[in-house]
Amino acid sequence: METKSKKNFEMTKKDFNQINRRSLFFNQWGWNYERMQGSGYLYILMPQLRKLYGDHTPELKSAMKMQNQFFNTSNFFNTIIQGIDIAIEEKEGASSIETVAGIKSGLMGPFAAIGDSIFAALVPAIMGAIAANMAVQGNAVGAFLWMAVNFVIMWFRWIQLRFAYNQGVNLVTALQGQLNALTDAATLLGVYVVGALAATMVNTKIIYVAHLGKMAVNFQDKIDMIMPKLIPALIVGAIYWMLGRKRMTSTRAIFIVIIVAVILSALGVLGKAV
Amino acid sequence: MGTGIAIWQVIILTIYSMYQIMDELTLQTSLSQPVWAGLIAGLVMGDIKTGLIIGGSLQLTVLGVGTFGGASKIDANSGTVMATAFAIGTGMRPEVAVAALGVPVASLMIQTDILARFANTFFQHRVDKMIDKEDYKGIERNYLYGVLPWTLSRGIPVFLALAFGGPFVRSAVTYMNANLDWLSNGLATAGALLPAVGFAILLRYLPVKKHWPYLILGFVITALMSTVYGNISLIGTTLAGMNKTFTTAFASLPMLGIALIGFALAAIEYNRASREMAKAENAPTKTTTTDNNIEEQDGEIHGDEI
Repeated sequence: METKSKKNFEMTKKDFNQINRRSLFFNQWGWNYERMQGSGYLYILMPQLRKLYGDHTPELKSAMKMQNQFFNTSNFFNTIIQGIDIAIEEKEGASSIETVAGIKSGLMGPFAAIGDSIFAALVPAIMGAIAANMAVQGNAVGAFLWMAVNFVIMWFRWIQLRFAYNQGVNLVTALQGQLNALTDAATLLGVYVVGALAATMVNTKIIYVAHLGKMAVNFQDKIDMIMPKLIPALIVGAIYWMLGRKRMTSTRAIFIVIIVAVILSALGVLGKAV
Repeated sequence: MGTGIAIWQVIILTIYSMYQIMDELTLQTSLSQPVWAGLIAGLVMGDIKTGLIIGGSLQLTVLGVGTFGGASKIDANSGTVMATAFAIGTGMRPEVAVAALGVPVASLMIQTDILARFANTFFQHRVDKMIDKEDYKGIERNYLYGVLPWTLSRGIPVFLALAFGGPFVRSAVTYMNANLDWLSNGLATAGALLPAVGFAILLRYLPVKKHWPYLILGFVITALMSTVYGNISLIGTTLAGMNKTFTTAFASLPMLGIALIGFALAAIEYNRASREMAKAENAPTKTTTTDNNIEEQDGEIHGDEI
């Protein structure tokens, strides 16, 4: 039974490249509400599964059914899971199918959390802030800089498969500490950048000037003496508070901000700073 | 067509908007980000600067909005394409276009995103059937058909709006500029305020409670520096106006410098945290040889993150 299912398959450089190519260019094409990346996972490993179990065998069919089940993880870490998966299946053959199903569902959560927070949220936040900062001044360099960073990330996605294949399951437990330290440092940078952005990118000021007899009180000047950019900071703080309310979504918050801004501007309280 | 947007421009922008969602799903080259959408739409429409301003503003608005676990987010990208095209095509102020066009379009497109994700369930079921039939080519083919719902979900609305929305937008812009000054100014203010939403959303999921001192540092360093730099360049301009021989130009605030300070703080924290974790790991059990190997590989990965 073992001899039939294994067929002396061993991953070659071509196989690694094929999995990586499919992951880079086609992952999530079939994303759907029922099984999310389910069929995507199967699609990426399909050629290797066929070589591993042989066409039209009951082993291949049950492997395909298992790989087609619910799966969803970060785009940036899916080949780590696939590397571990293929290493196990190559060694154990069809008898490992249940183990692999367990590993898949066990790993997709943690990797989704790490991957999404670093690559889908923090990098876009930091690089997006830099690119946008330059863009609003009419400078396109930031956008190219961001693209360059993303090519480095693609390279990282490319090398992780072979690394995971060689390290197998050990990898996840051994890397956990380092990844936590890295996530910690990256989120610190994120918090710092938001502080910096609040000070530069919210271009608004109080335009209301009170006239007391002959004296004109310019509120913005008085505020600048206390702390420059205090108004943008207060606005960010207010929206932060608002987002914590029940039934508040980011889209709703955006519309509320537009409406309030139009009203305050029409009343002559708030204006756009140059 | 009399809207300032030629048919070839409509077609290129439609193709771009179809490509960008696929980029967002798999490759992620950053071409699917509002800054790029602004740059590309600006290039197609012949005014890169306006494109960059709109793209940059919308980028900041959605800074903290990510797709977690496949949730739909507001499609700032399609919003940028339309706001840029109409702003340049009909002569709308970029700041007004952000709030008046970019945001509403972006949030309407949530619906087509949901539709695409829903439609793909159909192909998922076909893949199920193909597995039973052992039709290997069919499995791969049906998986790749997923490209249709995705691209159409962006391409159709963008095409329809750009091709037929022009006259409506144009007359609205003319009316607003002539009669609704308060609304036009208000929307410009809103456009300037919208980045605050992006920052607030970002703060919502970042561990602010843990790292709050760095929030203050980032804000205060930048606020003070930007005031200093701003005032110096103001003095420079004034002096240049009074004295013709004064030609020194003062640079504006270098944001890269501010970012590098933050990077240094993050590096300090990383060293501290990994030392602490190493201590915690070594204390209970001595780990074996495999660890050295991993650490070496690991160092390589860390270098790539920035």
